[in-house]
Amino acid sequence: MGEGESSAPKPYWQTYAVEATEGMSVLEAILSVFEGEDPTLSFRRSCRSSICGSCAMTINGFPRLACATQLKDEYLEGEDITIEPLANHRVIKDLVVDMTSFWKKIGRVTPYLTPKKDLSKEDCPIKKPINKKDEELIDSAQKCIMCATCNAACSALEVDKFYIGPAASAKAWRFVGDGREGKSESRLMRLSLEETHGIWDCVRCVHCTQYCPKDVRPLEAIERLRARAIEAEITDNHGAKHVESMVASVKRVGRLDEAAMTFKTLGVLRSVGMIPFGLKMGVHGKMPHPILFPAIKDIDEVKEIYKAVEEKKKDGKK
Amino acid sequence: MEKLKYAYYPGCASQEITKEADATTRRVCKMLGIELHDMPSANCCGAGLITDYDHLLYLSLNARIFAKAETMGMDIMTICSTCLMVMNRARAELDEDAKLLEEVNAILAKAGLHYSGNIKVKQFLWVLVDDLGLDKLKAKVTRPLKGLNAAAFYGCHSLRPSKVLGFDDPERPTSLEAVIETLGGNSVKYKGRTKCCGFQADLVNLDSAVGMTTMRLLDAKGSGAEVVVTPCPFCHINLDNYQSMAEKSAKEKIDLPIFHLAQVVGLALGLNAAELGLSRHLVSSKGLLKGLA
Repeated sequence: MGEGESSAPKPYWQTYAVEATEGMSVLEAILSVFEGEDPTLSFRRSCRSSICGSCAMTINGFPRLACATQLKDEYLEGEDITIEPLANHRVIKDLVVDMTSFWKKIGRVTPYLTPKKDLSKEDCPIKKPINKKDEELIDSAQKCIMCATCNAACSALEVDKFYIGPAASAKAWRFVGDGREGKSESRLMRLSLEETHGIWDCVRCVHCTQYCPKDVRPLEAIERLRARAIEAEITDNHGAKHVESMVASVKRVGRLDEAAMTFKTLGVLRSVGMIPFGLKMGVHGKMPHPILFPAIKDIDEVKEIYKAVEEKKKDGKK
Repeated sequence: MEKLKYAYYPGCASQEITKEADATTRRVCKMLGIELHDMPSANCCGAGLITDYDHLLYLSLNARIFAKAETMGMDIMTICSTCLMVMNRARAELDEDAKLLEEVNAILAKAGLHYSGNIKVKQFLWVLVDDLGLDKLKAKVTRPLKGLNAAAFYGCHSLRPSKVLGFDDPERPTSLEAVIETLGGNSVKYKGRTKCCGFQADLVNLDSAVGMTTMRLLDAKGSGAEVVVTPCPFCHINLDNYQSMAEKSAKEKIDLPIFHLAQVVGLALGLNAAELGLSRHLVSSKGLLKGLA
């Protein structure tokens, strides 16, 4: 087990032998250590049935709820099961991490409904239930138990601690996707700003969705937030420009035109900054032809699909 | 045994920037008796970017690729992990939701197409391990890798979401190591093999991208790797093309050649550097080849 106290920040490993019983969870194994060999071992737990979200930790290198992880599944003949505190969070002691950064991120997305001003009494969100279609789309985001496994698994947070992260993004989607919300657009604006390390910093690694114990699917929430931001024409950032240039490239030639995409995403000035790198790539034959980029066969079919989807979107808005 | 044949979907990256992966895959498949059939009218899967734009457009464009493969009567084989992930997510969503499939088919009908929902999308790695079999691969090896220390780098999209990919264990994958060992190499163990290469942040947040690339390279190097093998062209782009930026950020020389999966297979099947397209890599593998000669 990886341990580390705030006064002694250097983590160390300690090995415990546990007598495994049939159906034993990792949390039960830790409890048996705590109740026997080492009463000083620190860890969080409460409900023991994956509802409270307290016992998230790194088990064999990946974030999991200890109560929902079977010891047997983690055991490999002749190897130790490793248990460490959650990644991407400051360690307080043993398996206990400081959740302040997690709650701050949740706080940054205003985690409650902010209805439109001057609502009539009947339109008050407490009296007016969410419409069915919205509910379907935000339902998975409502299942979050705030265990922080997604933030611990997040690749972008690994290199940028200011990134908003998957948990808060899913929370943001829960409100942006709710038709009763009055400030969706300003929420999307804030989430799209580059200096706030928002939704466009997600690297689509899928780790959040993979490790969430409640099937919240934060990546899907981020995808929907991004789509709503572009729909609301909040596109003055590299992420949205990157998406728009891909959408345009596929419509035009059916595939990715890298040179055009780099230029459209980065703009003139930053593209010029990439020239030395481009030249190096060119020496190895790695630069795509900047002007003549042939379209795929039957490109008209692709254009028809774009047209049909756009028309459907328009009809939906009517 | 029935002949192995696939609707071949190299993905956009390997049609341009990582052409060497496409060319070597074609060569290697020919040697292994795997028939690849081109899909000249296949469009881009959207690489996750079109998913961020419009969900229905993303599903419809992917369904168009599936419809094309259906008319060919073959499953799809791709050499790009991101294509693999994006296409399989779309496939799974359409498999699970008949109403959605109908909605997508209404869009496809405007282009005179139909997808009936019976396609499999596989990665070259899966084809080698499951469809061809490692015994058959081993029988074709003419230049064993002599215990070459190779770090398998899966990246994200060849493993996750495992619910829709369902091939290898996302935490303890074994397929890529199994291929390396079959070819006579020694697969080294390191933590970062299933983590993110940073590619998707290249044009959006370069610092984050290089940060991730640097960690993976140092991790692999620290395990004693002489070469990194990846089934994904995007991982290759960051680990190879961005390696000089990683060296700057780490303030140390890394000098670790990065091979596409097909290249390491081709190497063991006796292909030479030119046939493998190694001069297209930014990190030289000349030293590595000398050791094997």
